[in-house]
Amino acid sequence: MKLDKGIIKFSMHNAKEIVWIVAVVTVFMVTLTALPTVWPQSFHFLKAMKVDTDPENMLPADEPIRLFHNSSKKEFALYDMLVVGVTNEKAANGVFNKESLENVFELAEFAKTLNWPAADSSQPSEGVISADIIAPSTVDSISQGSPGEVKFEWLMSEAPASEAEAMRIRKNAERIPFLNGTLISENGKAVCLYLPLTSKKVSYKVSSALQEKIKTLEGDDRYFITGLPVANDTFGVEMFKQMAVSAPMAMLVIFLLLLYFFKKLVLIISPMILALVSVAVTMGLLVITGNTIHIMSSMIPIFIMPIAVLNSVHILSEFFDRYPKLKDREKTLTEVMGELFMPMLYTSLTSMVGFLSLALTPIPPVQVFGIFIGLGIMFSWLLTITFIPAYIMLLQTSTLDNFGIKTTGGKRPAMARFISRTGLFSYYKSRWIVAGAMIVMLIAVYGMSKIQINDNPVKWFAPSHPIRVADKELNKHFGGTYMAYFQLEGVSADNEKLSVDYVKKLTVKSRLHRKHGGVPGIRKAFDETEKEIMKLSGVQTKKEFVDRLLDFADRKLEEASDDAYDAWDEVYSFAAKEKQSGDVFKNPEVLAYIGKLQAHMLTTGVVGKSNSIADIVKTVYRELLSGNGSHFSLPDSAEGVAQCLLTYQNSHRPQDLWHFVTPDYKKTSIWVQLKSGNNRDMLKVVDSMENFIVENPPPVKLTHKWFGLTYINVIWQNKMVKGMMKAFAGSFLVVFLMLTVEFRSALWGILAMIPLTVTIAFIYGIVGIAGKDYDMPIAILSSLTLGLAVDFAIHFLMRSRATKVGTMSWRNTTIKMFHEPARAISRNIIVIAVGFLPLLAAPLVPYKTVGVFLATILFVAGITTLLILPALMKIFAKQLFPHHTSRLFFCNRRACTVSSVTLAAVAVINFNLYQKIGFVQTGLLMFVFAGLSAFVCVKLSKKEKCKFRKKNRRKNR
Amino acid sequence: MKIKKLLTSAALVCFAAQLSAGTGKLAVDEVVRKANNAAYYGGDDGRSAVRMTIKDKLGRVREREFTILRKDESDGGKQYFYVYFRKPSDVRKMVFIVWKNIDKGDDRWLYLPALDLVKRIAASDKRTSFAGSDYMYEDVSGRGLGEDSHELLEGTDTRYIINNRPKDADAVEFSSYKVWIDKQNFVPMKTEYLDKSGELYRTVEALSVENIDDIPTVVKARVTNHISGSVTSLEFKNIKYNIGLKKSVFTERYLRRPPREARK
Repeated sequence: MKLDKGIIKFSMHNAKEIVWIVAVVTVFMVTLTALPTVWPQSFHFLKAMKVDTDPENMLPADEPIRLFHNSSKKEFALYDMLVVGVTNEKAANGVFNKESLENVFELAEFAKTLNWPAADSSQPSEGVISADIIAPSTVDSISQGSPGEVKFEWLMSEAPASEAEAMRIRKNAERIPFLNGTLISENGKAVCLYLPLTSKKVSYKVSSALQEKIKTLEGDDRYFITGLPVANDTFGVEMFKQMAVSAPMAMLVIFLLLLYFFKKLVLIISPMILALVSVAVTMGLLVITGNTIHIMSSMIPIFIMPIAVLNSVHILSEFFDRYPKLKDREKTLTEVMGELFMPMLYTSLTSMVGFLSLALTPIPPVQVFGIFIGLGIMFSWLLTITFIPAYIMLLQTSTLDNFGIKTTGGKRPAMARFISRTGLFSYYKSRWIVAGAMIVMLIAVYGMSKIQINDNPVKWFAPSHPIRVADKELNKHFGGTYMAYFQLEGVSADNEKLSVDYVKKLTVKSRLHRKHGGVPGIRKAFDETEKEIMKLSGVQTKKEFVDRLLDFADRKLEEASDDAYDAWDEVYSFAAKEKQSGDVFKNPEVLAYIGKLQAHMLTTGVVGKSNSIADIVKTVYRELLSGNGSHFSLPDSAEGVAQCLLTYQNSHRPQDLWHFVTPDYKKTSIWVQLKSGNNRDMLKVVDSMENFIVENPPPVKLTHKWFGLTYINVIWQNKMVKGMMKAFAGSFLVVFLMLTVEFRSALWGILAMIPLTVTIAFIYGIVGIAGKDYDMPIAILSSLTLGLAVDFAIHFLMRSRATKVGTMSWRNTTIKMFHEPARAISRNIIVIAVGFLPLLAAPLVPYKTVGVFLATILFVAGITTLLILPALMKIFAKQLFPHHTSRLFFCNRRACTVSSVTLAAVAVINFNLYQKIGFVQTGLLMFVFAGLSAFVCVKLSKKEKCKFRKKNRRKNR
Repeated sequence: MKIKKLLTSAALVCFAAQLSAGTGKLAVDEVVRKANNAAYYGGDDGRSAVRMTIKDKLGRVREREFTILRKDESDGGKQYFYVYFRKPSDVRKMVFIVWKNIDKGDDRWLYLPALDLVKRIAASDKRTSFAGSDYMYEDVSGRGLGEDSHELLEGTDTRYIINNRPKDADAVEFSSYKVWIDKQNFVPMKTEYLDKSGELYRTVEALSVENIDDIPTVVKARVTNHISGSVTSLEFKNIKYNIGLKKSVFTERYLRRPPREARK
């Protein structure tokens, strides 16, 4: 090809200029990113770096569940909470001793002060919402005073003066269902503080401040801080710290390995520069364009780095192997680049399109991720074909003096010999290899069937991380550190039409009241009321009717003479009863149902505790009656409930009621504490409640919905992990399409897909068999195979095809292929797989996953490429190397049909992601499309152009 | 006009101005005493219909209507209160009785008609919410004069300003509060409470004062909780002084069956 030679020649002859351009572009991008980030005031017109590791933001802001979550949080004045547990294993009564409770008191007082001027000027301040803190010193206790007396008092108004007082606090807390299992542990030995935050974003700051404070507290108490908000926020902070440690570490190991392979320091700096520049420019572009660095985009450097190193190692490897023979940089480079240009172009193009196709999915973070990796790959390819030759040309000739593989004098290196033998093994044992591969694949498929999708952001930390430790410890003692809320809403009767039936029934009721003996004037009053009912029966809605009837009674009561007062009082009560039937969550039957729901939640084994308005009513009622456990029940009328609640509101914290019910009593929220943040466990609770409600319908019409962070996580998992799976499937097909077009053959396309397919199947199989959760990091990292496995396959296949033309026999081709090309692949495997192993030491699980993934992808894809591909090619040599091939794509009717069908499949997957059309409809459409495209392909292949070429070929033979 | 005649049934206008035991400054004591009388001891007795509106941060409104009856033994001395709920309808006929004692904690009773239950409420702590509003029990009956130390600050042309600090800081949630008192009639017009860190968190204001039976009476008042964003407004109607309430009205006998004066 002329283009490749032209570019290489240009690069070699304008080496200085190229290096300059690369340097200037890099400095420019880094400056544009750094300036507004470091000095946001002076460079406000530029986009500063924005970091957001909140998984919630993986969902678009207008996602229905987020809108509902936010509006419900506002409605019930709920906030994301930081959970601080205090335990004491040395004292007999745990923390219920004088000293420990002093510490707890001090810590709660300190937490109240954790308030700062808000970064966001629309808020008055940010930090802990002191009025809603749940701590021994901030909650109210209701108990019996002297006989007939009910007592509201702070549970712990000040640190206890004696051990006896400490025990009294424990006893009081255990008596209040709201506190037992939430504030005080189930074994009565630990306490937990719940600190509501203005926003999750301050949780790391609050948690750090608390940790500083804890250091100053004396005693044997142990403190644990956890909760989803602090996990999310801490992950964001530690991720960057980890990036600063892991990335240089990986670079260092890669550098050392390159040095081991190629010996020449100056030379191996070039791939390092290339990788760094690619990452810097891509990330710079991401920031400059105003995109946020979130969980997914933060992974971009880890994707670009190995892909960037890959190409340059191919070049260096070939250069290393050939230079000793040619002893001329320009000649060697021209030869190397001539051979590698097309494979490199195709690999980069394929990976790039594969990643770019992620942008077709409707998930914004996945789109950004796909687009920028695609751009990064393109950029690193450009650098590979320009910067690497330029860099080599700029070196002093003398520095390359003893560079290259030792061919003369002594044996070849062990690795080279091993690789050669592998080639012959693949030739002679091809059938065994293929059979073995098939067995491995069968096992993998079995493993894949066992995959379970699950995630839990707390598990993104290693088990030894303080957050994980706290998570384990606190969920052992308390109801649970993961919060979800189950909202019930009465089906609104506001717009209900006034029915004739209702008016009739009311009239009958009114007549019954008329006969109420002993009240003077009651007949007259109810007669008048009945007239009013008749008069009002013309109004549109029931609500208006009831409101006006109550107004009538109110007016009459105001005007009533002393004699008629009692009669009108009865009328008023009669009308009021109708009005109250709309206050769903004062209805004792409904509250009893809520109690049943809560009891059922506990049977899932995931929910450790739940709190509801029913619990409050029962507690107050118990204290009003006697304080005995036997009276822990509901009053039998809505008025009774209302009066218990009004009594409750005579406490220090009347506002607590509104966390559980709206002031109009039409919506209620059950605070559910889960012991596990696994999405699978949350889902289990959701499903179980769904079934329970179907089997046990509520006494009145109610709708139910979940909200809260733990539930949000399930939703984004559904969207992201499953969405990513589909997106990956789409990209997989796009890559296949690219390969088929590039090789102009479906068979070659399939062959090139084998390393990718085997690798992904192998990894998923292991994930399934090992019982590891298929989580967000795994979902993201799967797409890394697109960039790595495809590279090996294309390099191997393209160069095999080229070699075959010269050697004619597959055996000879194999021998040739297992020299330089196979060596380049092997070096790549080792450099990248080993290079990223330091990530295994990271305290963050996704980083470990990256390390394991890279190693697995490289080894599996490498082995597949070097064993299975040549074995298959030997077996299918006839089909793969037919006597005639057309350079025009559409002349190959098979490739043409397969490609169009693949294209249709990509469309189906993406349509499905957008949920505009279902799988069945699109599947049918696809079927029709496949038939049509086959027809068109056959027609096209019969075109004159194709015939002419075929004829020509025949003549030539 | 004799101070004894001063009456405001707007006893709910929270604030408490108190005699200082320690300062020895007569001026402060005098102002505090007069203000206390103006706020809580108008007439020998009185009644008023109260409409209470609680509006939370989200603009959601809850309304309560009740009648309040009061009888004094002497100015600055023991007092009796009777609160009869009329609305919302599900708490109708609920009754609170408060005996305000000078030398010891107040006695409080609560009657819940739906449960037909009379309950004493422990006197241990008066700084709890009054029926879920931003008013506190202590605002209803007044804060003991000896519980704070008082300091007369530089006032304005029309207002005395008194700063008050609790003698037992652990017993209350505020660190201090400041009261603006009308120089003419000694009605406390505004009270601001500072929390433990010295931030303003609660304001009580008299919005409108009228002379009723020659007694300056607060007819509109408001409490703002700056932390929760909740605002409670009060409107007083049908205010009457010196209606000759019997002392027996303020006993358990009248819990189940409210006296005539309370019903409307």
